[in-house]
Parts: sequence; structure tokens; C-alpha cells
Amino acid sequence: MSATVAIARQHVQSLARRQTFVLMLAVLLLMTAVSGFIGWSSHSTIIRVYDETVRTLKAAGKPAPPNPFATKPHLSLLNNMIIYVPLIGALLAIVIGHLSVMDDRHAGVTRVIFSRPVERSSYFWGKVSGSAAAIAVIMAACLALSVIAVSLINSSIPTASEFLRLTLFYALSGTYLLIFMLIGVVTALLLRSQSMALLAAVAVWVLVTFATPQLTSGLRPVASLNPVTDPVAVSHSPFFKATSKAKPISVNDQYKALSTRILTEGSSAKPANSAAKLAPIVVLGLLLGGWASLLVKRHDFSEEAARD
Amino acid sequence: MRCPAYGVFTVTPSDLRPDPIIEIENLGHSYDDTPVLHGIDLTVQQGEIFGFLGHNGAGKTTTIHVLTTLITPTSGTARVCGFDVVGQRLHVQRNLGYLPENVRLYDSLTAAENLRFFAKLSGVEDVPAAIDDALGFLDARELADRRVGTFSKGMRQRIGIAQAILHKPRVLFLDEPTSGLDPMGVRQLRETILRLNADLGITIFMNTHLLSEVSRVCTTIGVLAEGVLIYNDSLAATLQRFPDEASLEDIYVRLEDR
Repeated sequence: MSATVAIARQHVQSLARRQTFVLMLAVLLLMTAVSGFIGWSSHSTIIRVYDETVRTLKAAGKPAPPNPFATKPHLSLLNNMIIYVPLIGALLAIVIGHLSVMDDRHAGVTRVIFSRPVERSSYFWGKVSGSAAAIAVIMAACLALSVIAVSLINSSIPTASEFLRLTLFYALSGTYLLIFMLIGVVTALLLRSQSMALLAAVAVWVLVTFATPQLTSGLRPVASLNPVTDPVAVSHSPFFKATSKAKPISVNDQYKALSTRILTEGSSAKPANSAAKLAPIVVLGLLLGGWASLLVKRHDFSEEAARD
Repeated sequence: MRCPAYGVFTVTPSDLRPDPIIEIENLGHSYDDTPVLHGIDLTVQQGEIFGFLGHNGAGKTTTIHVLTTLITPTSGTARVCGFDVVGQRLHVQRNLGYLPENVRLYDSLTAAENLRFFAKLSGVEDVPAAIDDALGFLDARELADRRVGTFSKGMRQRIGIAQAILHKPRVLFLDEPTSGLDPMGVRQLRETILRLNADLGITIFMNTHLLSEVSRVCTTIGVLAEGVLIYNDSLAATLQRFPDEASLEDIYVRLEDR
């Protein structure tokens, strides 16, 4: 147990001093703040247009339509986070997972670690728990920034329900990012070259984030990014009809759908439906975790330091 | 006898019984289908400084990897401190220290943070005391709070040795410890090895190319060629056996030619 804790602590300590990690973290936090700003900007623009329209309509003696933001949940202003997490957050998670293994190999310390009374399972759980702790801290920082953004936009602190939904959204995001962290671990264990391992992980990220959603939505160009429900049917070609069947297992699609539900629909969502959408994310995470664990168990850590 | 710098009860040469601390029988290892060790038989006694010689690719590092439990041998058996390297891995690991060639440690952490990490892995109970003892023994206390990334090769080597002796092992494995060191660094390392052996009673198993150091430090030598142990005896006996050769280098060349 103490070896697991020591390995996790060392990983977090090393991460905090890595420029790559700090830079990507800064970008994610910046984008979280920007997401709030974009929400506030669009909110105030629409309100200004609405106020102007109401004035014009009243001057013409016509009835004014209801305020479009009156019925829209406050948290929907943070919708851009549903895009930033799979983009910047996932890359950050890949870096965390990649460094968890590659830092040790590059420093040539894996040989020393495994000459100590350390079980391979302790090493694996140390790396995974250290990485998960780092992701949890990042998500907590994003949550804090989002709370500040929502408070500023609405000129009042979020309600308990809103705070719970925000927490749920970042818990889901953290779970989603664990998948990419594990992809970083797996590629770092499979490939000896640092650059190739990182490139392979990024290739998988592209596949999960862009290629799969495009295929499962019949190549609708905005589908890979925007968290919107299907406005049109998939393309009628047999190929896209077949690939659209794979949508339930596209983790990116499920993450976006669940996040949209949490931020814009809240309590109106059906729990059973949400569980079905969460299942592929959890299953893929468990499969990757199992694979990474097996690789750590079988890996030859007596090898020389990793190549640059 | 209590070692003042290290703060532990140590073993004097007279206490040392001629007990085998490393016993290797018919040890073989292959990488995929390529054999690198061919049935080695070797015994290292407690308190010795054993120099393991051989050209690049002879199988020296593979032997150390087997003895430090990093790899499982394909045939034969090896025991360290009486424990089998395959069946009693954790017992073996608790009794050994290991410094690989070109170990860099974690550059982003300080020396003390690196040592704290390895002390925790080694199950050391009083970590601050162990770190202070090890750094004190190596005259490296001033390096404790500096990041390893800023260290010279010699400084890294001292911290590397500190991590290897934190848990007070009975046997220390050094893989090419002089690699990349300047003459002053080599001299410091030689003195450290002698003190580790004399003051703390640690048996040293050292892979090296530097024959001049072997002749100054080692009590026993073994020569490995193409995965076969072609020679094993005490340094004194070796020098007596080859009276015509001017140096250990000449003896080594003659053994290799044989």
C-alpha cells in the first residue's frame, strides 16, 4: 500500500514540475474561463437584442415575445466546455498517462524501482491513482472556474441543484478523461520511442474524437464537435447506415449527449437512459485499465532507457 | 562496531564468515531465441568486492538483471543472501541495493525527494534518518535540496549510491559504475566502494570495463566471455597465477584469447 502511495505521490510531484503538463493545464483552465466569457457574451448580446426588440415592438403597439433566456437553464451557457474537454482535456490526459510511464523509462529508474520490493500491481495502481488524482484536481479547478463564471453571468451564486449538476458534469468529464489517460499509458508501454508513443496516442484520440462521431452520424460536418441531437437523418448510403448503428458505442457521442443532458436538461433526463449512455465510457475505461495492467505485469522493465 | 557517519552497527572484516552471499548454478538466459548466458556457476562470498569483467555483450548486465530479480532466468538457479531470485523475489529485493549504468533518477525532483521515494519503496521506517545517514556517509548532505537535473555525473552517481544503500542492504550491485565519470569522479567512487565494504560490511558485485579500478578495489574477479564464465578467482591468486603478465589488463587479454 505504501509503495502505491509513494508511486502516486512521485508521479503527481513530477507532473507539477513538467512544463508540458503545466502549459496544457493553463490552456484548459484558460479555455474554461473563456467558455464562461463566451457564455456571458452571447447571453448579454441576446438580452440586448431582446430588450431593443421589445422596445421597438412596444413602440409599435405590438406584443413582445418572451425572454429567450428566461426558460433556458443557466448552466447551458457553459456548453462550450463539452467541446473543450474532449479536445484539450483529452490531450492533457494523454500527456498525464504518457508521462506516468515514459518519465520512469526515460530516467532509467524502472530498473531501480523493480529491484525494490515493489509488486507490479502496486506500480500500476500507483501510476493510475496518481494520474486520476491529477485529473481530479484539474476537474476541481475547472469546476471552481465554472462556478465563478456562472455566478458572474447570472449575478448570483449557483443554486444547490446547479452546483450538483456542475459537479456531476465534471465528474463525468474526469471519467471520460481517464480513458485518454489510459490510452497514454498503453501506448507508452507498447512503444519504446517517446515520440512514437505520443503520436500513437494522439492518433487514437483523433479516431475517438473526430473520426468515429463523423462515421456514426453519417458524416454530418458539425457532429464531431457540437453537442447537438440529430437534426437530420444519417446519409442513406449502406455504409453510413451500417456505421450509424455503432453510435451507442461511440464514447465521444455518449459523453456529449450525457453532458448536454446534465447542463441543459437537468432533472428532466431519464436515469435509465443516462446509465445506458454512461456504460460505453465505463466499459472502455475498464477494458483499457485491464490492458494497461496486463502490459505492466508482462513488460520487460530491465530494458535500457526509452529513446527520445 | 558502530559506524559514526552512517549511524548503524556494522560488520568488521573479522566478523565476516566465508558464507556465500551469491550462489549461481548452471544459470542460463535467452532473449527470444538468442542465448546470452550459458550455464554459469559462480559463488561470491560475504564481504567480497567482486569484479565482473567481460567485453560488451558478454552477458554481465544480464547476470545482474537476473540477480536483482529484474528478469527471470531461462535455466538454472541463483540465490542472493540465501533466497532464490525467482521463488523468493521480495526477500532478495529487501537485501540488495542496485545502481544501474547511467541512472538519471528524476531530474525534476530534488535529491532528497528522490531518496524519499526510493526509501518508501524499500519499506524504510525512519525515512528522514535514513536519507540523512546515506547522504552523510557519501558527504552529499549539501545536495539534498537541489534538483537532480542540475547535477554533474559525479553528483548523480553519489545520489544513485545513496538510493542503493538507504535500506542498508547486504549486497550492492553496481553496473558499470565508472561509466562517464571523470578521473576525480572515478577516484571518489573507488573510495566510496571501499568504505561501503569496509565500514558497512556490504558485499559489492560490480560490472566494469575499467581494469585499473578492478586491480585497486576488487578482492575477487570473474571473467565472462560470450555468456560463459571463463575465469573466477581471487585477485591475489590471479596475480600469482600469471606472474609473467605486467598488469591485470594483460591477464584479461590472455584470458579472453584463451
